[in-house]
Parts: sequence; C-alpha cells; structure tokens
Amino acid sequence: MKYDGDLFFASALPDAPLPMPKQQLERRRSLFQALRNAITSFSWL
Amino acid sequence: MMRPVLVRGLALLLAAGSSLWGGYLFLQYTGADGISVLDLVRVALVGLSGFWLVWGATAAVLGVFTPARRPRIDASAKPKGLTAILVPIYNEDPVAVFARIAAMNRSLVALGIEDRFHIAVLSDSNSLEAAAQEAIWFEQLIREPGAAGRIFYRRRENNVGKKAGNIEDFISRSGAAYDYALILDADSLMEGETIGELARRMDRNESLGLLQTVPRVINAKTLFGRCMQFSAGYLSPAFARGAALMQGREGPYWGHNAIVRVSAFAANCGLPVLSGKPPLGGHILSHDYVEAALLSRGGWTVMVDPALEGSYEEGPENLIEYAKRDRRWCQGNLQHWRLLGAPGLKWWSRFTFVQGIMAYMASPFWLLLLAASIVAAVFPRQPIVLPALPQATAGIWGLGLAVALVLVLPKLLILIRGMFDGQNRRVGGTGVALLSVLGEIVFSTVLAPVMLLLQSRAVVQVLLGIDGGWPATHRAQTGLTLRQAWAASWWIVLTGVVTLGVTAALAPGAALWLAPAMLPAILAPVLIAASSHATTKAQLPVLFRTPTEQCVTPVMKEHSAIMEQWQGQTGSELTASKIGRHVHA
Repeated sequence: MKYDGDLFFASALPDAPLPMPKQQLERRRSLFQALRNAITSFSWL
Repeated sequence: MMRPVLVRGLALLLAAGSSLWGGYLFLQYTGADGISVLDLVRVALVGLSGFWLVWGATAAVLGVFTPARRPRIDASAKPKGLTAILVPIYNEDPVAVFARIAAMNRSLVALGIEDRFHIAVLSDSNSLEAAAQEAIWFEQLIREPGAAGRIFYRRRENNVGKKAGNIEDFISRSGAAYDYALILDADSLMEGETIGELARRMDRNESLGLLQTVPRVINAKTLFGRCMQFSAGYLSPAFARGAALMQGREGPYWGHNAIVRVSAFAANCGLPVLSGKPPLGGHILSHDYVEAALLSRGGWTVMVDPALEGSYEEGPENLIEYAKRDRRWCQGNLQHWRLLGAPGLKWWSRFTFVQGIMAYMASPFWLLLLAASIVAAVFPRQPIVLPALPQATAGIWGLGLAVALVLVLPKLLILIRGMFDGQNRRVGGTGVALLSVLGEIVFSTVLAPVMLLLQSRAVVQVLLGIDGGWPATHRAQTGLTLRQAWAASWWIVLTGVVTLGVTAALAPGAALWLAPAMLPAILAPVLIAASSHATTKAQLPVLFRTPTEQCVTPVMKEHSAIMEQWQGQTGSELTASKIGRHVHA
C-alpha cells in the first residue's frame, strides 16, 4: 500500500492499526486427512 | 414477534412436507406401472428442487404478512461513534464512483453530521490507466464541502484477498480510529439520513455487530436491468422481511450497504486462505456470508432491516454481465461447501451456507430432471424395482399447478398487500403494479431456461476445477449486438437445438413438453440482445416502473447534478498532464 505524497490534498488515512487475527474455518483433522494419515502410517510396508 | 426458531421450524416442516407430497404425486404418475430406478432418481430430484422452491415461497409469504415498521428517524441527531465509510473500487469509472461519494458527502453535510463520518476510497485497481484517472478525479472529490481531513484515498499495489482483503487491509492499518465501518460497493449510493440512522442504531445497541440494509436497484435503462430493478424494489423487500423473521439475530451480510462494528469485525472476521487451489480452495470469494457467520459465532447480533430506505445500488444491464457476476457468486457459494463443518458456527449459519450452495445447485438438478425425463420418454421400458403406488388422485396437472402456484402466489400476494400499504401507489397505481408483476413473471419465465443453462455451466466449471477469477464488472453496458450475444450464448442455442431435435426424433410426444423450455434457449441471442437496449429517461415505459423512477430521491438528484457538472469539466480543468504525477506503478 502506498499513500500518494504528491497529491494536492495529501491527507493519509489514520495510522491506527487494529489486528485482524485469522479465524479457523477448516477442521484441522478431516476424515480425509485421517484416512491419509492411516494409509501413510502403513507406507513402510 | 414469533421466535425465529419457531418460524424456522414451521417453514422447514412446510417445505419438507410439500416436497414429500409433491414427490409422492410425481411417483404416482411416473410409476403407474411400477417404479423403476429412473423414477426414483427423478423423484429425488423433484423432492430436492421442490424443497427450495417452497422454502423461498414461504419466506415471501411470511414477509407479506409481516408489517414493515418504518423507523422514526431524527436525521440531524449526531451519532456518538465515528464511522468510516469504505468504498472499495476495482478498475471502475472514477467519475461515477466519486460523484456518488460527493453526493453522499453533501447529504451528510446538509444534515450537519458529516464530522462523525470519514470516507475512504480503497482502490484495488490494477490498471494503470484506471489508477491515473482515480488520482485525477480524487482531486476533484476533495474540493467538496467538508472534505478536509475526512476524505481519503489509497491504492493497494497488490490486491491480495480481493474485496475482503481490501477491507481487511484498511482495518488492520486504520481500524482502531473508528467505531463503525459502513461498507459500500463502487455502485452504492445512500441518503445521509440513512447513513446517520445506521450509525445511531449501532450506538443504541451495543450487541449489534452488523446491520444490513436492503438496497434498491436504481438507474437501470434496459428491459433486463429494469426488470431486475423492479424485482429488487417491489418484490425483494417482502422476501427479505420473511427471511429476517427466520434469521433473527443471525441475519445476512451481502457484502455492501451494511454497517459493521469495527472492533467486532476485526476480532472475528479475519478470513484465512483455504487450503488447496481455487476454485474450491484459496481466497474466500463469497466472504460476506462467512463474515456474517463468524460475527454470529462471536456472539454478535447480525441483522437486516428491510424497512430502512435510502439505500441504493446499480445492477447489471444485460444478461451477459449478470452471468459474469453470477459465475463469481457461484464459485464463492460452492466454496462454502468446505466451511460447512467449520468449528463453532451456529446451525443457522451452516444452513445459510447450504441455502447459498443450493441456489446454484438447483439449476443442474432441474437440468438432470429434464434429462432423466427425456431418457424415460425415449426408453419407456425400464426394469421395475418397486411395485406401483395407489392410483393418482391429483394427477400430474395437479402437481404442475402446485409448482406454478408456489412460483406465482407470493408475487400476487405482494401485489395485494401493495394495495393497502401504499407500495402500488408509489409505482403509479395497482394497474401499473399488476402489469409489472405479470411482466416480471413472463420475463423471468422466458429467461429461466437460459439462466438454468448458464448456472449449470458455472457449477460444472467450478466442479471441474476451473477458476473464474474476479473479472471487473461493466454494469452499465447496454446495446449488445446480436453478434456479441451470439458469441456468449451459441452453446446455449446448440444445446437447445440438439436436445429438442433428438427428443423430437426419438420421442415426439415428449418434445411437445420440452419445447417451452428449449425454445427460449434456441432464441437466447435474440433475447439477450433485445433486452439490453437502453431507453432514455424520458421514454421509460410504464412497465417495471419503480418508486425511484417516479420520484428521484435527494441523493440521486445530487448525484446526477454532480455527474453533469464534472463531466462538463473533462478535458478542461482536469488535464491528462496530471496523470504522470499521480500514478504509482
């Protein structure tokens, strides 16, 4: 992001950060993932 | 007022009961000599599609019988909280966009409440020409009254996360300075009175995380655009009122013309990038539904108020532009499949995701039903797997009538309500309203097969992993030629000709049933081109007349005046020589 310093009207947006933490939307352990893990665990065979 | 959970339960019972009954009638007819696997497939499709038809109709009927409580507004009362009005733009026409901002600003200034509102233009434009034009016209915008220290512009060089990323970027850099953010689209327009009221509602209700308005479509000039405009202005509020009854505190967010509490939004709505590649992975396209669900998950109230007027947007003027937008929405809604199991979401939010998915999946389901019915007609001797049901009582005509009733009844009820609540008067009387409602039913029925094929293609593309991206919109494009319409719809014509031809050759009886669905598909280019021609303001026909065409509102008048004034300045005060000094590459 850049603010245009050359603008005739050079007012920049307030510098007032507010964190927006990323939300968890996907389950970390899906059925598919569990299956994949199970298969992988036998991969040494 | 009834508790939302009770309304939901009743609507669910009605929709499930009707679709089961419809399926039973269908099976009585199709399985008169015994039930085949194909019959079971067809009845499942009838039941599934019928459920969503009845669900939508139930919302509308509920809305018809729900009073519209027009809020009493003290327009000049200053809101306590400070609001940032956010206008995300992406390669749009800056004259039109900035003129809308100027009109809203003047509306706030006239009320004397402008100091409680800042305006931030958040550009994601990646075209240098568009960015240069934005910089030039921003100079014009900041000459508006009270602009000093209140109107800002910034452009991201890298538009990560598209619109949701644009808003997130603003909040993470400047969000702590504001209590509320009014999120608009580039084509949004709002009366200062409405903007003020939104902020005051946030002041009054500390648990309110998001308040959505129902924007009316304005400035349409083509048959297609004006039909959509009429539908959104005359019919949608009843649907929205009914839906609001069911939603309760877990209302919708449509991505614009809504105010959010910045602290709640920041704490709950940081959207992750979904694992995997687009179209089903990557950045969340239909972010609004997800943000509403996340605010609800965080314990905040999310509400829609259909009675709040003075909120406007513009819509696509032709079917091709509509389909382009629909393609993006389709991809976004199908992506929600991945989020159905997201931890902590309320059940209603999950149901809303399913509803959004079904809004697009319904088309391929109807198409499959059509295809299965053709197969059943061409190969009538299917192996029987279940015995026949008792003799049909209502018959297939009864079922057809019930489907037609579900589609038409809510619209007729809205018309009858309009005779008593003044809505018909605002469009020029009950005669005009009746003409427009009938016109809307005819027009939407004729276009339905084309829409069905377009949506089915969009679903198939997404399921095949084809990413539609985020193309810039050209909402105001009018006057499509037959050649342009043909280029976009030749495959629809081909589908119609082949389907009708093959059915006529193999099962002539079924072709007669099929013709009403396939003829509009065959005529698609003509329909698309003919419905895209603009009419001048003075010659707008009575059909599809809306209140804003009858009586232009103050902010619309102001916007037109500013546009006229600014366009007169092109090439004189604002010269291309300024371009070089403002562009950031």
